[in-house]
Amino acid sequence: MVGTRILAVEDDERIRAAVKLALEDEGWTVDEAASGEEAAILFLRQPADVVLIDIMLPGIDGFELCRTIRRSSDVPIVMVTARADTHDVVAGLEAGADDYLTKPFAPKELSARIRALLRRARPAHPAHPKLIFGDLEIIPDEGKVLRSGTELHLTKTEFRLLCELAQNPGRVFSREHLLDHVWGYGYFGDGRLVDVHIRRLRTKVESDSANPRHVVTVRGLGYRLQA
Amino acid sequence: MIESPAPKARSMRSDGPSRRWHIRPMGLRSRILLTFGLGSLALSLFLALATFNFTRSNLVDERTGSAIDQTYANASRLAVDLQSNPTNIQTVLERLGADRPLVYFRGTWTGNDARFSSSVIPPSLLNAVLQNRQPTTMRIEVDNELVLAVGVPIDSVDAAYFEFPSVDDVRSTLNSVNLALILAAGITTLLGIVLGAIAASRAVRPLTAASQAAQAIAGGRLDTRLAETEDPDLAVLTSSFNDMASALQLRVERDTRFTSDVSHELRSPLMTLAASVEVMQARRDEMPERAQVALDLLVADVARFQGLVEDLLEISRFDAGGIRLNVDELLVGEFVRQAVAISSAPDTRILVAEIAEEMMIKGDRRRLARVVANLIDNGRAYGGGELEVSVFVPDDEDPPSQIWITVEDHGPGVPQDERDLIFERFARGSIAGRRSGSEGAGLGLALVDEHIKLHRGRVWVEDRLDGQDGACFIIELPAERV
Repeated sequence: MVGTRILAVEDDERIRAAVKLALEDEGWTVDEAASGEEAAILFLRQPADVVLIDIMLPGIDGFELCRTIRRSSDVPIVMVTARADTHDVVAGLEAGADDYLTKPFAPKELSARIRALLRRARPAHPAHPKLIFGDLEIIPDEGKVLRSGTELHLTKTEFRLLCELAQNPGRVFSREHLLDHVWGYGYFGDGRLVDVHIRRLRTKVESDSANPRHVVTVRGLGYRLQA
Repeated sequence: MIESPAPKARSMRSDGPSRRWHIRPMGLRSRILLTFGLGSLALSLFLALATFNFTRSNLVDERTGSAIDQTYANASRLAVDLQSNPTNIQTVLERLGADRPLVYFRGTWTGNDARFSSSVIPPSLLNAVLQNRQPTTMRIEVDNELVLAVGVPIDSVDAAYFEFPSVDDVRSTLNSVNLALILAAGITTLLGIVLGAIAASRAVRPLTAASQAAQAIAGGRLDTRLAETEDPDLAVLTSSFNDMASALQLRVERDTRFTSDVSHELRSPLMTLAASVEVMQARRDEMPERAQVALDLLVADVARFQGLVEDLLEISRFDAGGIRLNVDELLVGEFVRQAVAISSAPDTRILVAEIAEEMMIKGDRRRLARVVANLIDNGRAYGGGELEVSVFVPDDEDPPSQIWITVEDHGPGVPQDERDLIFERFARGSIAGRRSGSEGAGLGLALVDEHIKLHRGRVWVEDRLDGQDGACFIIELPAERV
């Protein structure tokens, strides 16, 4: 993964410098931004492979920056929150983040998360070139999803999640399984990652996301994809 | 809070020389009850006595009056008869037809009823009639019969006439009156006590509300307040209680916010430290030996610092009541294996009872994993020897409703008097010396306690269950069979 570019958005100068040093040790190129505005401009000029955003930013905050980037890009986003048990996590994921870390985190943890996202950004090779679920059409090799012939814009994580569910139609996938296969988390991954991403996925693949037909919840067990 | 000095003062007093005479102070309720009881008893006794005396004097006066009139009439008839027939007194008396007459004439006593002779007449009455020549009345008792002794001097023949009309019927009337009055007094006193009980419970009710509110505040519900009242006597208590509660709440919130703010502020420099140390660690081999030693120290203490700040943040969340559990259903055997695997001693021996593989707990898996990790860290720092983690159902309960997760070491164990203390924050300081080692921030076990309470479980420490030397930390959580 040499040549990988990471955009780190953090207002604390010394944290930014130290994180940059640690990430550069992994062989990655790191661009820095001290504010949401700066990051938005920089990202337009120089798209990154992964964006790291601190939620607490002066000016436009991390959530807003997330949404701004999401409007034009499916780049994996890791956000940094103050607490894991507040509304912040869910709000950040709903704003478009793919994963999160809680301050203070070890840089090793951060690079592990980034590696998992990068791995995920390059889709695996499925058995079937084309999968059809009613009005849904999935073409894994091209990273494309169509609903009634119209192409949908899914983020890389949403696409991986859909492909994982599509691998075995009708089978129920537990949150643990999805966390492991899509995010690379073990037993202690946060189930909310799955729940929020499923919700986001439904707003795109379902014609009525309040009454999902394709991505179905199986109470107490997990999720299932059906035609 | 306010009550805490009271037991001390009491015990000091009871240790003093006046101890033998010390009577336990009476409660407000008892005092009100006693006041009402004694008050109504005194009042009814007074009324009863007054009524009794009034009735008696009325009845007796009436009887005395008529008896005296009768005796006078008889005496004047006797005077006439004695003048005309001075020798045959017996005949005279029979003609008189009086009830129980007795005559003193010329040194002899004559009567027609043996019971009423001169011997029953009290000397003072005798004296008043015979010497002072004064008509006199007196109540006396003869053979258990209450009678009036009425004496009238008959000056014309130098005699004295006595009659003894019975007033026993008055006595029986008075006895019934007496009984009725005693009954009435008793009932009045009882009513007074009932009234007192009602008054006492009404008087104590605001105090009960206040004590319940104080308990709620002590239990952590700092926003508890007493309801506003119209009663001017209680309004003072209510408003000062509520002012106190507000001041306390403000103070606690400020302390909590301070802890939380401090820990939040510490996180930024800590991030820089952690990242910088990691960069340096990657270049450890390029450093001179002395710098390597210094780096190792730095790495170890940055990790400790990080742990401390995380613990402080978590504890300040508990204090602010802001913990939201991410509850999942967890198979306990699998959970414990996973938790040990990410702890500081992933190779720790784990014994999971067969039934525990099918037991489900409801909990926040990451917080519970922290609990297991903290107990393992604690065992490594203060225990000794190999640690063992076991999962089983206590006492082979059937059907099982709880599960025990134990962490045992081969160290010196925890002395009886420190077993509660070690779960307090920074308890290490107060029992330093006996618990060796510089590891651990002193918050680990406090967090274990808070987390387990939040999961409606219990955690405690005792001696190893197999009787060997060492401590056994036990977590008890509600669980059910799948």
